[in-house]
Amino acid sequence: METAWIDGKPASLEEALRAAGTLLGKARQPLVTGLRTDVAGVRAAFLLALRAGGIVDHAKSAGLYPFIAAARDGGAFLAAPGEMRRRADRVLIVGDEPATIGADLLRMLAETTPDLGVRSRGAGRSFMAVSRQTVTLPGGVESDHLDCASDDVVDLLGMVRAKLGGRRVGEGAVGDEVVETVARFLSEAGFAAIIFSPSEFGEIGTEQIFGLAEDLNQTTRASTLLVVADPDALGAALQATWTSGFPLRISHGRGEWEHDPALFSSERQIAKEGEADVVVYVDALAGADTSLPPPEKPTILIAAGSGQTSGAKVAFKVGAAGRDHDGVLYNARFGDFVATSAETKSELPTAAGILDALASQLGENAEKAA
Amino acid sequence: MLTRLKGGHVVDPANDRDGVGDVFIEDGTVVEAPAPAREADETIDCTGLVVMAGAIDIHSHIAGGHVNTARLLLPEWHRAFSSRPGETALSKVGWTTEETGLRYAEMGFTTVVEPAMAPSSALHAHLELADTPIIDKATLVVLGNDDLLLEMIRAGESDAAIADYVSWTVASSRALGVKCINAGGSAAFKENVRKFDFDDVVPDYGVSSRQIMKTLQSAVKTLGIPHPLHVHCNNLGVPGASSDAIEATIKAAEGDPLHLAHIQFYGYGTEGKRRFSSRGQKLAELVNATKEVTVDIGQVMFGQTVTISSDELRQFAGAKQASPGKSIIFDHEANGGGVVPMDYKKKSFHNALQWAIGLELFLLIEDPSRVFFTTDHPNGAPFTTYPDIFALLMDRGVRARWLEALPKSVAKMTSLPEIEREYTLGEIATMTRAAPARLLGTADRGHLGAGAVGDVSVYRPGDDKAAMFARAAYVLKDGDLVVRDGAVVKRKFGRALTLRPEPDKAMQTRLDRYFDDKYGLSSRWFEVPEGALGREEPFKVMPCRA
Repeated sequence: METAWIDGKPASLEEALRAAGTLLGKARQPLVTGLRTDVAGVRAAFLLALRAGGIVDHAKSAGLYPFIAAARDGGAFLAAPGEMRRRADRVLIVGDEPATIGADLLRMLAETTPDLGVRSRGAGRSFMAVSRQTVTLPGGVESDHLDCASDDVVDLLGMVRAKLGGRRVGEGAVGDEVVETVARFLSEAGFAAIIFSPSEFGEIGTEQIFGLAEDLNQTTRASTLLVVADPDALGAALQATWTSGFPLRISHGRGEWEHDPALFSSERQIAKEGEADVVVYVDALAGADTSLPPPEKPTILIAAGSGQTSGAKVAFKVGAAGRDHDGVLYNARFGDFVATSAETKSELPTAAGILDALASQLGENAEKAA
Repeated sequence: MLTRLKGGHVVDPANDRDGVGDVFIEDGTVVEAPAPAREADETIDCTGLVVMAGAIDIHSHIAGGHVNTARLLLPEWHRAFSSRPGETALSKVGWTTEETGLRYAEMGFTTVVEPAMAPSSALHAHLELADTPIIDKATLVVLGNDDLLLEMIRAGESDAAIADYVSWTVASSRALGVKCINAGGSAAFKENVRKFDFDDVVPDYGVSSRQIMKTLQSAVKTLGIPHPLHVHCNNLGVPGASSDAIEATIKAAEGDPLHLAHIQFYGYGTEGKRRFSSRGQKLAELVNATKEVTVDIGQVMFGQTVTISSDELRQFAGAKQASPGKSIIFDHEANGGGVVPMDYKKKSFHNALQWAIGLELFLLIEDPSRVFFTTDHPNGAPFTTYPDIFALLMDRGVRARWLEALPKSVAKMTSLPEIEREYTLGEIATMTRAAPARLLGTADRGHLGAGAVGDVSVYRPGDDKAAMFARAAYVLKDGDLVVRDGAVVKRKFGRALTLRPEPDKAMQTRLDRYFDDKYGLSSRWFEVPEGALGREEPFKVMPCRA
């Protein structure tokens, strides 16, 4: 079974590791990204970046940053899905993305009713969506729909906050009646859950939603449930935070971890204007990524999918964590890391193994140079 | 390999040693002095130095979801984020897992307990601990706001069934003990309750905080878990109500061991024109008189920090005082939690009195084996402030200088200026080595007798006690020299100390069904498999009492 390629041609693992090590050794600005891997793989990616003086980011961190920026600038109210399943009597669906990337969460909430809390159990669970599209819930569960474009939702929620605070509310895009309806829906909840996707509303919109939850908690109980398209990016951000102090977009180029959300963004580094001159791209979970770097940036590809070797300077085929080998993965349903057993054990190397071998290669090269 | 620590002043209260002598370590373990003919492979000259066992911190929030959220919330804490890293108040904060391990080791600490691990965050906490170098670690798992326990108490289930549930939680989360945090308080807050006393009842369940605490205390005893139930009382930080809560909790120990955490935050009265006063003296007297109780302090020191707690109710209330003005509040399964930044200011009457109350408690609680050295890192202060606290305890001149710099109104409200006690080296070693090992049931450490792990801290004594404890001259971890002159010279990984009780199989079956039916979760997701941590031998199992 072929597991390594140099310039698209099959090579031994040792040859490919040597070639990748040489490429990284000559790089002025290495970038380790993709980062679709398990905890062991992410840990190894940090070690490689540390040895190489490289930047590390997840390829899809852009979807997380509205949440990260809003939370660290202004704080947040966050709930676990399991707790909301048992406790939320009213669910406000904000925007259109929850119905797509959060469909599993909505299904779980629609198929259950709150059973905890004097204030929240007994009357079932009501849903309201402020979105452009109507939301169809399973089992014929009804959801009130207030037609509102994404661009107007943040204004609407601002007006709801003003209404809840007893302040005057001007004429907005949706009208006072809608504002009143949403405000009443939330303030009369025993425990309200607000579901939204931070990437749909950006940092300011996300801050507005956290602010709404904070306002509600002055008199009742409420929290938010985030939906994100790439839960593994959230896991990588958590791991980056305990490793470096920062949620991704970090560099070890100057001998200690530095963080710059703009400069060290994977998207920027992979684009033509990015300083990265060699890219280590890790795509080692089930289901292939579709955002591989452009061919003008020499790439060391570590991928679990088949047929992904073309265009890469050096490529390694590895097992997918949780499918081909055991691994620890971030689980959005649980809201934390979960040890996941392989469906079937494979002989393929792991992403962590290849990344560790590359880090060792750099160490050996450095010793030879000395 | 045989290592000889030669000619140091050995302070080992567990073995009644307090004089000049040698310590020998072979293959990672302390051994008796070998026959005179045998030469050591390595000799470290400790002449003029103080030799102690590695220090143990029993309560320091170093890992897990809430700690990591605090890192996220406060990027300005990290020195690389600052334009003037050398001059920021927090430039010395051990903030990442890497820094946590290194900074602790440099001060001579070799074992640290993360005291608030939610069962649902157990794997996350252990992943962080596995990335924390040098030191050994342990965790306390949190119960007391979880639906199942409250439901079992409400239903009048047997002590044995409840003990089985506690046993399963300890075993699956790989904990060393059990903690309850404002028992019932988070559950009540989810019902929109804003104040919760020791005898208040959680709505819907009809069980009081007292019942929950007593139930867990009993389960811990039944299971033979060496560390007594570790309690974070109700009404933390509320003048008057906090001191009432801890008094009621101490009296509820009723002859059985109980550990009360960060009691400084409960030493607040309502006297004076600001309605904020010290009840340190009264609390210390109560602790002195209640022999079954142990406490740690949670000393406040001045400067920016962040509070991290699973006491969601109190963290939500405290968010109004957040500085900078931002906080993150969680509603998780069972425990909630909150992360609230705090800037303790020398010029603040309240903050300065908090500082004084902590020291009153340290100095007025007579038995150093029942009072433990903590700042509740990072809640009262980062652990990197420990050297200054040692100096404050060991030198009343240092205390006087610090008091002089505080608002004059503070000195009138505390007995601290009149307290002459100075901790001796022996008392420091008892408080930070011998007693914590006994409290945790980790007989393999905290002393320098034969059979102990080769965790040794060597200090250069001097009048400046802060300097002495800030930079150990040498630290050995499992016999390896890891710190020399206050700097790490060898980086390795320690282990997590765990218990391994064996719960009844019927409880596993019940929990499989419970988590699936009620939460849509697999009970297996709460487990911490050894292979998940990516370290060789990540755990060391400690025995339960027979």
